[in-house]
Amino acid sequence: MDRLKRAVLLTCLMEKMRENGSWCGETHLQKSVFCFQHLFDVPMGYEFVLYKYGPYSFELKDDITGFLADSIFEVESMPAPYGPKLNYTKSAKNLQNSFKRTLNKYREKLDFVAKQLGDKGVAELEKIGTALFVTLQNGKESPVESRAREITKIKPHILNDEAIQAVNEVDLIGSQAQSLVSTA
Amino acid sequence: MSKNLHEIRDPIHVFVRLDGDERKVLNSRPFQRLRYIHQLATTYLIYPGATHRRFEHSLGVMELAGRVFDVVTNPENVTDEIKEFLTDITNEDKRRYWRRVLRMSALCHDLGHLPFSHAAEDKLLPKDWDHERITREIIQSELMKSIWDDLTPHLLPDHIEKIAVGKKKARDLEFTPWEEILSEIIVGDSFGVDRIDYLLRDSHHAGVAYGKFDHHRLIDTLRILPVPADSEQPSANVPALGIEAGGLESAEALLLARYFMYSQLYFHPIRRIYDIHLKDFLVSWLSEGAFSTEVEKHLETTDNEVTAAFHKAAFDSEMIGHDPARRLVLREHFKLLYERNPNDVNVNPESGETIAQAAKEKFGDANIRHDRYSQKDSSIDFPVKAGDGRVLSSTTASNVLKHVPLISTDYVFVNPEFSDKARKWLHQNREDVIRIPEEDENG
Repeated sequence: MDRLKRAVLLTCLMEKMRENGSWCGETHLQKSVFCFQHLFDVPMGYEFVLYKYGPYSFELKDDITGFLADSIFEVESMPAPYGPKLNYTKSAKNLQNSFKRTLNKYREKLDFVAKQLGDKGVAELEKIGTALFVTLQNGKESPVESRAREITKIKPHILNDEAIQAVNEVDLIGSQAQSLVSTA
Repeated sequence: MSKNLHEIRDPIHVFVRLDGDERKVLNSRPFQRLRYIHQLATTYLIYPGATHRRFEHSLGVMELAGRVFDVVTNPENVTDEIKEFLTDITNEDKRRYWRRVLRMSALCHDLGHLPFSHAAEDKLLPKDWDHERITREIIQSELMKSIWDDLTPHLLPDHIEKIAVGKKKARDLEFTPWEEILSEIIVGDSFGVDRIDYLLRDSHHAGVAYGKFDHHRLIDTLRILPVPADSEQPSANVPALGIEAGGLESAEALLLARYFMYSQLYFHPIRRIYDIHLKDFLVSWLSEGAFSTEVEKHLETTDNEVTAAFHKAAFDSEMIGHDPARRLVLREHFKLLYERNPNDVNVNPESGETIAQAAKEKFGDANIRHDRYSQKDSSIDFPVKAGDGRVLSSTTASNVLKHVPLISTDYVFVNPEFSDKARKWLHQNREDVIRIPEEDENG
């Protein structure tokens, strides 16, 4: 997928996350793009690795910085103790008009991800993101408990009950996403 | 008895001091090769003073890495919370070990650079290869293994490899939080000493004063800080490299220096077209059209061999690579046809690409070159310890940081034979050409 199409999808995701209650900093975007790309096999081309705060893509970070440099995104500071919020600019809205077909193709899926994740705080997103990462690696057939154990091994600050809850939630989101794919 | 502390004079740091083990690496073939790799590729064709090499830069990075390590691990600068999380800081043996690893990693961080540094990297290595991957190969090579084995006490090459290139370029390796902090000291997007050294050094040699900033103050105020639990970062207690509020202005100056150096020096359009001509020459000159990734072959080639080859090719029209070689040597470079401006970006953020495609159709592929870069490795968000002890995001603590522009360049160049025609064509067709092309049916 070319760069401007990625910019349009990120802008739309940001917009929808916000409509669903997110203040949308970089972590929100990282985790929601991870879910969007992997739940629906969207060819955004980002490689995600487990990093300090769960699934993280250095390529997505590079894209975000590049879009800031191109005035497609902008940064807004938040009151302490929060980090900066990402906004899209007027140029980003103009771009949406040039890529209506791409947007139409993915709009429903973007909506789905934003509805599932928009109201979650960053700590929740870390758990969900890590649970999806582990599920993608081990397969959804892998028992909930074993995936949860792996999560607590990777992220010792996540309690076992929380990890089980995150895996169950990811399984539910995954099956709902699947039905969206099959009805599309 | 041999001397254990050696001093090397340096125009930026006055003295770089190294011990006997570090000198073994300095004397190694991979490190000595860096004497023949220009830090700034063909920039010396525009800024004649910019003839400095990766050799002295690597020494500078080692010197600064040691200084930063001493500041951020000084017990007076480390909170109990951090001591509890990063236990290696309080264990004196481990602290000494990691200081040596850090300095050695800094010394080795650029070993994998190709001739003319970054100029030819993106097109002249196989897929998934870059200079950092070659650096990793060299650190783990038999050649270096004999040096690592000879050190007392031993340093693990796995540690040196990780810290030298960081997580972004070693995704296959597991990093502990402490290792992440150490690699951040070298290659970090906010305060990496690689960046601190190259800005100061490039500025000094090129004669471009914009790259200078108060790095002494910046380094003195660097701290390992806990990122607050309620902030953007989801996990409590995960430490990151940040600064005390007193160093905020010097951090702002660093980011401004970077912006000015990119706009004035690194992305000077003529420097960029010389790099493209060099790349064109190398594609023809190299037997496989690309550099080898084998350590031995990598070590055989420096700027010297490449320079000798393009000088010869420039004066012999029968030789391969003659055309790009003469453009480099006889200064017959392509001319700037188009440079983006903010209005164009509003219409089409990839305006250069669109114009380059249209110009190629009109004047032929061989007569047009496109150069596009948007800044990637930059972070304006780092923890700042305020006077009242709270840890804040830098974007909250500083009004300047979020306004420092990021670099994005978009140039189209044309063969000088066509430059008048092409300029006239662009002037007449600009509005039509610049628009984003229609999306295809599949989106």
